[in-house]
Amino acid sequence: MISLDRNRATAARQDLRIAIVGLGGAGSTVLDRLVLDGLSGASLVAINTDAQALAGSVAAEKIQLGRSLTRGLGAGGDPEIGFLAAKEAVGEIRAVLADAELVILCVGLGGGTGSGGARLVAELAREQGAKVVVVATLPFTFEGRRRAEQAEEALAAVQRDADLTMCFENDGMGDAVAPLAGIQDAFSAADQTISQAVRALAGLARRRGLMHLGFDELATILRFPSEAAPRCYFGFGEADGANRANDALARALKNPMMDKGRLLDGAPNVLVNVAGGSGMTINEVQILMEALNRHVGEETRILFGVAVEPQMGEKMSVTILCALPADPAVVRLQPAREIAIRPASTRRAEPESAIEEPAAPRDFPEPTEETADFPPADDELEHLPVVASAAPVPPPKRTEAKQEQMLLDPVARGRFERSEPTIVDGQDLDIPTFLRRNVKVK
Amino acid sequence: MSNEHIIVGLEIGTSQICCVVGDLRSDGTIRIIGVGTAPSRGVRKGEIVDFETAGTCIREALVDAEEKSDVMIGAVYLGVSGAHIESFNNRGAINIPEQRDEIREEDFEDVQASAREVSIPSGNSLLHSILQHYYVDGQDGVLNPVGLLGRKLEADFHIIHGVTYRIQNSIRCVKEVGPEVLEVVFNPVASAQVVLDQNQKSLGALVVDIGGGTTDFIVYVDGVLKQSGCLPIGGDHITNDISLGLRIPMARAEKLKIGEGSAIVGASAPGDMIVLKDETGFAGREIEREMLNTIVHCRVREIFELLKRRLDAAGNVSYLAAGIMLTGGGSQIPGIAQLAEEIFAMPAQLTFAHAVSGATSAFENPRYSTAIGLIKYAAALQPERPKSLFSRVLRKLSFLWSWIF
Repeated sequence: MISLDRNRATAARQDLRIAIVGLGGAGSTVLDRLVLDGLSGASLVAINTDAQALAGSVAAEKIQLGRSLTRGLGAGGDPEIGFLAAKEAVGEIRAVLADAELVILCVGLGGGTGSGGARLVAELAREQGAKVVVVATLPFTFEGRRRAEQAEEALAAVQRDADLTMCFENDGMGDAVAPLAGIQDAFSAADQTISQAVRALAGLARRRGLMHLGFDELATILRFPSEAAPRCYFGFGEADGANRANDALARALKNPMMDKGRLLDGAPNVLVNVAGGSGMTINEVQILMEALNRHVGEETRILFGVAVEPQMGEKMSVTILCALPADPAVVRLQPAREIAIRPASTRRAEPESAIEEPAAPRDFPEPTEETADFPPADDELEHLPVVASAAPVPPPKRTEAKQEQMLLDPVARGRFERSEPTIVDGQDLDIPTFLRRNVKVK
Repeated sequence: MSNEHIIVGLEIGTSQICCVVGDLRSDGTIRIIGVGTAPSRGVRKGEIVDFETAGTCIREALVDAEEKSDVMIGAVYLGVSGAHIESFNNRGAINIPEQRDEIREEDFEDVQASAREVSIPSGNSLLHSILQHYYVDGQDGVLNPVGLLGRKLEADFHIIHGVTYRIQNSIRCVKEVGPEVLEVVFNPVASAQVVLDQNQKSLGALVVDIGGGTTDFIVYVDGVLKQSGCLPIGGDHITNDISLGLRIPMARAEKLKIGEGSAIVGASAPGDMIVLKDETGFAGREIEREMLNTIVHCRVREIFELLKRRLDAAGNVSYLAAGIMLTGGGSQIPGIAQLAEEIFAMPAQLTFAHAVSGATSAFENPRYSTAIGLIKYAAALQPERPKSLFSRVLRKLSFLWSWIF
């Protein structure tokens, strides 16, 4: 096991060296998106087999894979080729990641380069002593079963070398756009969500909040008993103006992955980070959290963080992240432990344990140590509605994958609450039709 | 103005109480003199649930009508509805007494009585028994059997009955306020009077009156009333659905339904938002138009599907050549006719009372169909008495004439 130098990690917090790696076609697109949305303070590395796509990337550093193997063409959707191509460029990848402390690997799984190379890049980054966070997207269902299987295999493989794996389903993000919108919009909506998630990740890593959220909290969110990586759901909202607290939350929940906040109800843990300029008041934070509390279930733990960033000015932003276990239907696709693509790695002695706790903060500094260096500047803030910042993590609870539907509680009768029910064919017609027929009303 | 020709129709609806004052002129036409309305409270699904409050609202509507028409309202024809009202078709039969072969007028009453006798549940009372067809010795297509020779007279009747106490509740509530109740009429029977003309009745038509708390329907085939009934779902349910679905108060949902709602899904542009403004202009919330329409669509579709099932069960769907007439306040939702056409696969149109004269343009609103229909229904009863007496005398004379010669 590689151990991280704790002193270095804490001292360098202010100026954490982050490398964001975009691997394969989808990864590179995310990088482009990140640049468009404006991200600073991280080095961007595009890695691809396709020379043409690479040339079009805006990343500062580019690595072409498989110069001799694929000769500048793509991996053709074959993970085997992707892996071999990546192996050719091991030296270059090492060099680029040499002084990074946090590597965020963005990859779209299911294709050749991404699925094949992800594991190798993650492993190299780890060997350099960096924390590795993998932000992976799974293909749309319509891309076919074969790609879904490749993606699941690659996900299981990369998970072993990643400290954290955040896995997004393109399907969920595709819901973002209206059914009538073009396919391009669907993909771009997915990219945008990933880009926001990556930015939020970088922000979480770099910020030193009044109430800090770190990777340990992230790990809590992602901890599930099941082997497969849980699916992450992410919402980000930013707003200014008089009603910025509510607006920011509304925008975060409006992210289709959040399903208007309904999804939060099923998640055992929800991570919420609130950031704002120095003008952010405690009242606003309270308003926001109260509004959010209406969306989460009673059992849900809220991991809450606040950060003040003067450069945000009048703006206020909310980041919501939660994870749910993978859809059972998808899990079934996952093959046995033996992964087809296995790079020759002898480093790991007990891969089994790593799988059992995919997201355990193995080498990370303890949360208390992290925050101890930066005591809250303002004592008034101490009575913020902290639900859990250092509370012991409860044993992971099995949560059933929940179908999207509202509960048919008696409240659903509304004004006909006390009137004689109208029963036809065993259905109470006073309950709204769209509820009884499970029509999805976004 | 003589009070004898004044007819007043009163409908106690779930969302509004409507009182129409009409003048029956000597030439048989009806002139609407005034319409009084009051928002209804204390009524759910077409039935009174709060006696006191409903009484107050009825008073408001009556006073409004009296002011507008300058008439003292002494008696009303009362329209009723509710899930308890049921209907069926029944055939009555009598044997003509041995000593004569000819069918006479008094036999009608006997055959009607025989049709009524059957199987109305003990707590129920008869509201209407409406004649459909006569049969003489098993031969159908007899329009008027009087004077025909035969041994056996049969007649099909459409019987409408309801729970006695519930009907009495409505009557009592009106009587407490003041006016007498001359007759109780099932709402769709009244609205069909003004919504359908004779031609449409002959062709076969379905009238759907979507009110606040109930959706009443009536089917005419071959010019006779074949089926009628009441679904206790109406505009209120749509409002309730919107309120629950969008998590907004009922009053706001009602406004949204009237102002923005449509029963057609997939027609609005993606991302078309409706901004909900507070009275203070504060905390504007945005609602996707498609979402609102989906909620409305689901409910309206279900209403039509339930109706279709009822009609299918009676086997009447394939006889409706004139199509569907939609009326009542709920029919004002845009796209509702299109949806009805889709589900029933036959033409549907919006209608309102048009078979009356007077200051009609103000009342050409589907909300008033039932109340105006009550007047038409009452008017149809009125002249019959003197005329039938006269014709009876005439017939007696002619009988005497034939007997003499």
